[in-house]
Amino acid sequence: MRITGRLCTLALSSMVVAGLFATTPASADNAEAYAGSAAARALNLDVLGIKLTAGSTDALANSSPAAHANGSGLGLIADSTSKADATAGQDQSSPKACALNLPISGILTVALACSQSSASAIGGNPLAASSADVAAIDVGLVNLVLELLQPILDALTPVLDQVIGTVTGTLQPLIGGALDPLLGNLGLNLNSPVRSLVDALKNVTNLATVHVGDTTSSATTDAGKVTALATAKGGEVDVLPGLGMVGAAPLLSIVLGSATASSTFDRTTGQSAASFDPSLLTLQVLGVTVPVGLGAPITLFPGTLLESTISIGAGHTISNPDGTVGAVADGVSLQLLKGVSGGITLELAHAESAVGGAKALITAQSVNPPAPPAEVKAAELARTGAEAPWLPMGMMLILAAFVTRRVTRARR
Amino acid sequence: MTQERQSVSELLSSKLWLRRTLSALSVVLLLSGLVLIGYPLASNLWQGRLQDRLGKQLASPQLRQAYKDRKVGTGDSLTRLKIPDIGVDVVVVEGTTPSALRAGAGHYTQTALPCDVGNVAIAGHRTTFGKPFSNLDRLKVGATIELDTPVGGCVYQVSKEPFVVTPNDLSVLDAIGGNRTLTLTTCNPKGSAAERLVIKATLSKDLKQA
Repeated sequence: MRITGRLCTLALSSMVVAGLFATTPASADNAEAYAGSAAARALNLDVLGIKLTAGSTDALANSSPAAHANGSGLGLIADSTSKADATAGQDQSSPKACALNLPISGILTVALACSQSSASAIGGNPLAASSADVAAIDVGLVNLVLELLQPILDALTPVLDQVIGTVTGTLQPLIGGALDPLLGNLGLNLNSPVRSLVDALKNVTNLATVHVGDTTSSATTDAGKVTALATAKGGEVDVLPGLGMVGAAPLLSIVLGSATASSTFDRTTGQSAASFDPSLLTLQVLGVTVPVGLGAPITLFPGTLLESTISIGAGHTISNPDGTVGAVADGVSLQLLKGVSGGITLELAHAESAVGGAKALITAQSVNPPAPPAEVKAAELARTGAEAPWLPMGMMLILAAFVTRRVTRARR
Repeated sequence: MTQERQSVSELLSSKLWLRRTLSALSVVLLLSGLVLIGYPLASNLWQGRLQDRLGKQLASPQLRQAYKDRKVGTGDSLTRLKIPDIGVDVVVVEGTTPSALRAGAGHYTQTALPCDVGNVAIAGHRTTFGKPFSNLDRLKVGATIELDTPVGGCVYQVSKEPFVVTPNDLSVLDAIGGNRTLTLTTCNPKGSAAERLVIKATLSKDLKQA
């Protein structure tokens, strides 16, 4: 995927530079030109050239001005795709597209393979944003549980408050330093801890939420900067979201495989910067992050047909001579059997972003028109056939599963 | 090779997280494979249930009125399509959005209504969602295609051998003069969206109710 990242950045650089040349007159006058792009993939699987992408988003904004956003919950399912395009003065938002959306009022919401995209180019500030997820399960029930427990809580709260208040009051001088950040975020009053806990629970939106393959991509522009931001998460479990006072943080949040790539172009100075943040596992308790270390990339059988590389929490930035920059981050990346027809690539949480541009240099009264907007895809006859050979791909994946399982068990 | 196998074995023995990652990966691969294999079957089952509902809707007085007012909403029943030669009997919905096409077949909204003057164009799935147009390529010139709408019906006859166009060739949707024609489109080849297979038919019998 590094190659993809570089190609993406290269393409962006070329576009920006081409745009600059296209709009540069014989004099020294230059109109401002910029472009920002972001792309995120929750899962990217390539088995000997057969590809499967899940949780995929792309966003692009440039100085034309134009904005384009695409999202896809599962690449194989047309129902899960969304698209939005806007040129000067336009604003377009696609409705949320889901392969399956099953809300059961107040109890459970199951949404599979969803995406949503929006694009706007109003006021000369193009904005593109897209979000996608492979699966989202929200377990409600909080209000129901609280209503059922209300009589019991009403009876027990004064007694419990008194007992717990006495105990915590005694322990406060000893362990207060460790607990204060958590208690503060929970908004817990030590004089009436149970009552304040029940009050905090009323802010909880769900009992738990489980999201698999969440990705977001955005390319935004304001008066000061152009920002391209891509985030991807393999899986996230939030317990009691909304419980914390600060940022409605959940009681517990576990994120497996996440990657963030951010690139910014400063419209005032003309400078660009990029950063990345990959992670294998992130734990948060009431918004307080518990650090988890990263593993180093491992290469097996180097130089042979079986060469395989396993990267955990990897990322890098790219800076090109023309000033464009990019960032690439991977939560988990497996490149197996690289020598065998392209091998098998599995990327869990991949994010990349890039920006580039040149600030306006105006010394004369006129400026040449901006670069033409990106091409608009022509309408086509209805798509009524799947792109993927379901059966062979399914069989291939099952075969790969058995091979992987066998490798795991081989050590015994 | 033996050394390499040994080193893999040692690596797996010493790295618990690696073993667990590979175990998790095998489960993910297995589930993904099962989902892929099961998807066409699941989509066919889904389409079958949807067709039952659409069949009832097609017979409802509300839809009849909406049809007369030309206000059939996207995803609602529009007409029943029958092609006896290849065993097709499917309720066609209004619209060709991905969501509408879950029903199996959808009417291009920019084209004429069934049996009306002009070109009626209908798209249908070829591999999933009941695959009503799976065998469209087997239709011969002269084969009959019946449309039953809430206000009557009509019969078309295939006028041309099936042919293939590019996905962006929208000219096949155009009406030719004041003729009453029917166009069916589906993806081609099977399992791919690279091209579109097109069937052209002309009206042979109008059974429209008074």
